[in-house]
Amino acid sequence: MLPGLILGGMYALVAMGLTLQYGVARIMNLSYGEFLVAAALATFFLYTGLGVSPLLGLLIAVPAAYVLNWAIYQLLLVPLVRRAKNRDMLEVDSILATFGMLFVVQGLAHVLVGGQYYSYSYLSIPLSILGSTVALNRLIALLFAALIGLALYFALTRTRAGMAIRAVAVDPVSAGLVAIDVRRASAFAFALGGALVAAAGVLVSVFLTLNASMGVVFTTKALIVVIMGGVGNLLGALLAGLVLGLAETAVARLIDPGLTLAANFALFLIVLLWRPTGLFGGAAR
Amino acid sequence: MLEVRGLSACYGKHRALDGVGLSVARGEIVVILGANGAGKTTLLKAIVGLVPPIRGARVTLDGSDLVGLPSHAIVEAGIALVPEGRGIFAELTVRENLLLGAYAARARLKEASNLQRVLGLFPRLEERFRQVVRTMSGGEQQMVAIGRALMSAPEILLLDEPSLGLSPLLCRELFQVLAGIRGNGIGILLVEQNAKQSLNIADRGLLIETGRIVGQGSAAELKDDPAVRRAYFGAAAPGADGATGSRG
Ligand SMILES: Nc1ncnc2c1ncn2[C@@H]1O[C@H](COP(=O)(O)OP(=O)(O)OP(=O)(O)O)[C@@H](O)[C@H]1O
Ligand SMILES: [Mg+2]
Repeated sequence: MLPGLILGGMYALVAMGLTLQYGVARIMNLSYGEFLVAAALATFFLYTGLGVSPLLGLLIAVPAAYVLNWAIYQLLLVPLVRRAKNRDMLEVDSILATFGMLFVVQGLAHVLVGGQYYSYSYLSIPLSILGSTVALNRLIALLFAALIGLALYFALTRTRAGMAIRAVAVDPVSAGLVAIDVRRASAFAFALGGALVAAAGVLVSVFLTLNASMGVVFTTKALIVVIMGGVGNLLGALLAGLVLGLAETAVARLIDPGLTLAANFALFLIVLLWRPTGLFGGAAR
Repeated sequence: MLEVRGLSACYGKHRALDGVGLSVARGEIVVILGANGAGKTTLLKAIVGLVPPIRGARVTLDGSDLVGLPSHAIVEAGIALVPEGRGIFAELTVRENLLLGAYAARARLKEASNLQRVLGLFPRLEERFRQVVRTMSGGEQQMVAIGRALMSAPEILLLDEPSLGLSPLLCRELFQVLAGIRGNGIGILLVEQNAKQSLNIADRGLLIETGRIVGQGSAAELKDDPAVRRAYFGAAAPGADGATGSRG
């Protein structure tokens, strides 16, 4: 149960960022996972090279990722937004553009750190909780994921700015008619999504072994969770992430670890056949 | 005062608006009548920046130019649109829709008092305050749409066929509410198919045909104009609106 929750918590965090970028800004970001890996590798070098603890790394990586993603939106994506006649066109254009960005980020990572695997040991103290043994570092990662996820959820549902972000996800034209600056809200959502995936990268780096070409795995998982939860639906992403993590862990434990990917896609297919708009319907809840 | 001069707009090669001019003062209702496809919706969209006007147009509110501004800035300047098909946030609650209406900086200080005013106009919305809008009746959704527009504290309110799909009774109530809004000093530009009832509350009217203004006059003049009667009042004799005829 607990290992499933930990995995699910990471999926949820990764997917919440993507659902912001895709649901609000309508950017289908294929390079999304690369930013997770970049943040994880940066944390590795900060920790092993400079002795900066990963939790402090969070305070560096998250604001840096926010600024970087905001700049990417303004410089690279705004021209696409300007050109697109509607959101579907923007979606297609953004797939092509971010597919290119995937190779740029991955290439840079390869040049900087090579192709080998990286991991480090941080608070890997075994604890026995609820009948399963988990390392302290994983528990801390889960705790932080839960805190970040809940904070985001409340910020988006209880504040005026959050309500504006959700309004853009539901209907960008109407959002303009209530004086919301849709382009600014989109830039904010895109940057916030980038900050979230960086947070996830820092957190998984404390217990996963990663190399520079693993970003695609996270992008795929995030996409699956986003679609399962309903595009633009934050609570949906959170719950679907948890469900997926629990299901994968259960399959690996009870049947065969080799079947996790198959279970993953089976679950995805079942959800799509049963509820095509995702477990929890459309945007903005 | 909203003033429009030489407003034209195209969809590709198709010219949907051709040199339209009009004005709406505060505390006045101006109704726009026209057949399907005449360009009424395009006119309202061009005023709020959803359709780009062709160069040479002038749209001003109290003298300040609005052409080329994005729609969020136009709302901020004081013009609110209740669009065709309502355009409310279906997945959000009544409360959230109304509070989003007051997102404009111009409306935030007055949010609480405007909310009281809107709930006073539409008591139904207070009963349904936490309901998701998608699950409400068409009439209730129209109230949300109008309420949301009023929350932005507009100087001028634009409405695109607000009576569409309402029962005769609700329709009458709606026009009474619009007359009340005018009483608060807001100017209303109203696009309607329901010529009779809208002319009953309007001060002036404009006739639009294939993107051009082809006639205008006071509401009383237009009501008595034989051409208007033929085109917009249909075969029905004056006084007999709505075949379903709810009595009392
Ligand atoms: N998005 C669009 N793309 C292309 N043509 C359009 C578009 N919207 C409207 N038109 C055309 O522009 C003309 C005016 O349309 P508009 O929607 O303004 O009419 P309307 O007077 O509001 O009609 P209705 O009473 O049916 O709502 C029509 O000929 C219509 O076909
Ligand atoms: Mg129309």
